[in-house]
Amino acid sequence: MRLSRVLALTLALVMMASVAFAGPSYDRIMKDKKIRIGIMTDSIPGAFFNSKGEWVGFDYDVATELAKRLGVDIERVKVNNKTRIAFIQQGRIDASVANMTHTREREKSIDFSITYFFDGQKILAKTGKYKSLADMKDKKIATMQGTTSEINVKRALKALGVANPDAHVISFQKESECFQALQMGRVAGWSTDATILLGYASKTPGKFELVGEFLSDEPYGIGLPQNDSALRNGVNAALQDMWRDGTYMNIYNKWYGPDTPFAMPMTGSIELWP
Amino acid sequence: MLRYWLEKVWVQNTVLAVLGLLSLYYWGWVFDFGYDFQWPILFTVNDTYQLNFGVEILKGLWLTVKITIISSLIGISLGTALGLARLSDFKPLNWTATCIVEFFRNTPLLVILFFFYFAFPQALPEAGREFLFETQFEFWTATVAVGIYTSAFMAEVIRAGLQSIPKGLLEAAYSSGLTYVQVLRKIILPLAFREIIPPLGSEFLNNMKNTSLAMIVGVADLTWQAQQVEALTFKGFEATTAASVLYLSFSLVIAFIINGVDGRIRSSSKGNNSLPVMFINLLLIPISVFNKVLVNPAARYLRHRRRANMHSGVQVSTSQLILKKLYVTLVLISKGAFLAILAGLLFSLVRGLYNFDWSVIITEFPTMLVWQFPNATGDDLFWGLGGFSLSFIIAIVAIVASFFIGLVVGLGRSSDNRIFRIPSLLYIELIRGNPLIIVIYWVYFLIPVLFDSFINTVWSASIALTLFTAAYLAEIVRGGIQNIPPGQVEAAYSSGLSYWQTMRKIILPQALKQMIPPIVGLFIAIFKDTSLVTVLGVMELTSVTKALDNRLMIASMELWTTAAVLYFLPCLLMSKYAKRLERKLSPEQINLKM
Repeated sequence: MRLSRVLALTLALVMMASVAFAGPSYDRIMKDKKIRIGIMTDSIPGAFFNSKGEWVGFDYDVATELAKRLGVDIERVKVNNKTRIAFIQQGRIDASVANMTHTREREKSIDFSITYFFDGQKILAKTGKYKSLADMKDKKIATMQGTTSEINVKRALKALGVANPDAHVISFQKESECFQALQMGRVAGWSTDATILLGYASKTPGKFELVGEFLSDEPYGIGLPQNDSALRNGVNAALQDMWRDGTYMNIYNKWYGPDTPFAMPMTGSIELWP
Repeated sequence: MLRYWLEKVWVQNTVLAVLGLLSLYYWGWVFDFGYDFQWPILFTVNDTYQLNFGVEILKGLWLTVKITIISSLIGISLGTALGLARLSDFKPLNWTATCIVEFFRNTPLLVILFFFYFAFPQALPEAGREFLFETQFEFWTATVAVGIYTSAFMAEVIRAGLQSIPKGLLEAAYSSGLTYVQVLRKIILPLAFREIIPPLGSEFLNNMKNTSLAMIVGVADLTWQAQQVEALTFKGFEATTAASVLYLSFSLVIAFIINGVDGRIRSSSKGNNSLPVMFINLLLIPISVFNKVLVNPAARYLRHRRRANMHSGVQVSTSQLILKKLYVTLVLISKGAFLAILAGLLFSLVRGLYNFDWSVIITEFPTMLVWQFPNATGDDLFWGLGGFSLSFIIAIVAIVASFFIGLVVGLGRSSDNRIFRIPSLLYIELIRGNPLIIVIYWVYFLIPVLFDSFINTVWSASIALTLFTAAYLAEIVRGGIQNIPPGQVEAAYSSGLSYWQTMRKIILPQALKQMIPPIVGLFIAIFKDTSLVTVLGVMELTSVTKALDNRLMIASMELWTTAAVLYFLPCLLMSKYAKRLERKLSPEQINLKM
C-alpha cells in the first residue's frame, strides 16, 4: 500500500518539471539596462578570487567589457561547470562567460557566440616523469565531471588500447580537487584545457609541466539563451569590436601576455565579419 | 454536518482521489512547464556519446548498493565495539571511544570525506601511499568514511539500548554464575538488540542516503551518474527523477528488511506471518537448517562432555586456573598495548599540530568566519557574508521555517482523517527516502517552475534544507504526540474540548517540551548539512574553505582542520546542551557499569 502511494506521488512530482523561459532576453536586458552574466569562481586565470579576495580574471574582464559595449549594467552571477548551462536554460542568467567549449551537444540546449578564445586540451603531470598519454595508460588520470575533457581522455585512452577507460579516469567536481589529487600522487596526470592547467602549474613553479600533444581543440564560446537572435547579434558585434579596437588584446595580455605566469602566445584571430 | 461526512472513510478516499486526479490533470495538461521532456534519454543509446544512459544510471545504482552494504557492515561492527567501549570501566578506552564518537557525530560527512581523501594519504610514508593507490582508493575512502560516520551514530543507539537493560536482570545473571561473555551473549545483546532495531533501522537508511556523498571523491555512484547525464545532455530533470525513484525503491527495500528483522525478533515464540517476516524467515532457512543439523548436536555433545568432566576431578580446575591467569595477563597486556598506541597517536597529533603553519590559520580565520563581508561582489546576499556565519544563518532559517511545516505535517500524520494523514505520510516518506543532495537538486529545478522567478541560490538552498528538515521534524512531532497517554486525550474530549482545544491546551504543550532535545539534535544535523549546499555554489563554510585551499594550495591540512573545528565545536556544545535538557526532562536514568 505504502509503495503504491509513494509511486503515485513520485509520478505527480514528475509532472512538475524544470523550465526554460524561452523568449526575448534582449528586450528585457535593454529595458532593465542590466545584463546578468554567469562567471566561474575557481578557474585560474579565467575567473577566480585573488589573494585579496577580489573576483578577477580573463573571463571576468571580458564579461565586464561586454556589458559596457552593450551599454548596460552588469550583474555577475557565480556559476560552476554544473550550473553554467542550467542557469541559461532556466533564464537565471542572460549569458555565460565561463570558459565553456562550444560543442554540438551543448548547441542542442543553448546558443553560443562566435569563438572568443582558443584553447586545447592537454595533460599536466609531474616534471620529467611522463612524455605522453601513452606513458600513463596504466595509471589514473583526473578530470572534471561533465566536461568535454572527460570524454576526450576516455576516447584517447580507448584509442591507445585501454580496455576499460572508465576505471582509469577519476572525475572530480572541481578543478582544485583535480590539482590536489595530482599533487598528492593519486593520479599521474590531470587533463583539461591548457590555460587552466598553466594557471595551476604556475602556483608551484617547476614541479609540473604540460605533456604530449593537444588531445583536442577547445573553442570557447559565450553561452546564450536558445533562439534569441538579437542578443546573439549584439554579443557577436561587441566581441568583434573589442578585437578591432585592441581592447581584446589588452585584456588578453593582462592575463596571458609574455610577462604573466600563464604566458601563451596569441596565434589566431577571432571570426571577424565585415 | 461537514464533520459527519468527513468521518466516513469512503468520503475521505473520494476526496483524496479527486484531489489526486485534479492535480494530475493540472500538472499533466494545463500547466506550461516550458521544458522539453525527453524521457527516451533514459533508455535509448545517445548518438553523440554512444552510451545508454539508463544502463549507466543502473551501474551507478549497483555501486551505491555495494557501498551501502559494505559501509553498513563497517558501521554496525564498529558501532557495537564503540558502544561497548563507551560503557567500559577501563577509562582510557572509554575516553577514546567517547572522543571518536563525538568527533564523527559533530563533523559533517563532507568534511570527513575531504579529510580522508586529500589529507590522510599525505600523512603516510611514500610506500604506504603507493600501496593505498594500488587499491580502488576512491571506492574504499568513500565506503570506510561513510561506515565510520555511521558507526558513531550506531554506537550511541547501541549504548542507549544496552543501558536500557534493567540492572536487576544483570545482577541475577551474574549471581547465577554466568561469566561476562555469557551475560553479554545470552542476556544483554539479545535484549538490547530488540530495543535497538527500530532506531538502528533509521541509521541504516541514513547510511544509505549518506553514500550519495561518495560522488565528491569521484566515485561513480547513483548521484554521480545522474549528474553525469545532466552534464552531458542537460536533461537534469529526467536524470534526477530516475535517481529519485531508484533511491526511493532502495529505501523501501531496506525498510522492508528492517521490518522483517524487527518482526522476527519481537515474535520469536508465536508465528508472525507478515510479508517482511516471512521474507526474512525464508532468507534464514539455510542458517536454521545448518544449526539444526550441525551446530545443535555438536553443542549438545560438548555440553555433555563438560558436565562429565565437571564431575570427574580436580586436575581440570588447575588447568582452568592457568587459563584464568593467562586471560588476566592477556587483558593486562592488551590494555598496555592500547595505552601505548594511544600515546603514539597523541604524540603524532601534537607533533602535527605543532608543525602547522599557524600564520595561515590566523590570516584566513576571519575569511572563514565571514568571507568577504562587508564587500559584496556580484549577486551576494548580506553584504557578501559567507563562511561560518552564512552556514549558521541558513541553518537558523531552515530550523525556524521547518518547525512550522513540521508541526502541521506532524499533526496531519497523527490525525485519524485520511485526507490529512495520507498527504502528510507521502510528504514525509518521499523526502526521507531521498538523500538531501537529491532534494537540493529538486528544489533548484522546481522553484523557477512554480514561482516563475529565480531566487538567490542561498534561498533555494535554505528552502531545500527546510523541506528536508520538516519531514524529520514531523516525525519528532508525531513521536511527541504519541507519547502523551491516550487517557489524557479521552479526558479532554469528554470534558467537552474540541480537537484544536485539546491539541493547543493539552497535547502540544507537553509534547513540545519533550521534543526540545531531539529538535536541538536536528539543528545540529542541519548545521552540518549546510556543507552540502556547496554543490549549488553557495559560499558557506565548506565552499569558502575549498576556495581558500584552492588559492593557497600548500595549507590543506591547516584549512580543513580549522573548518572541522568550526563545525565541531558549536555542534558539540549544542549536543551537550541537548543531553542536559534530556536529563532534566527525564531524571530517572541508571548508569550501567560493565
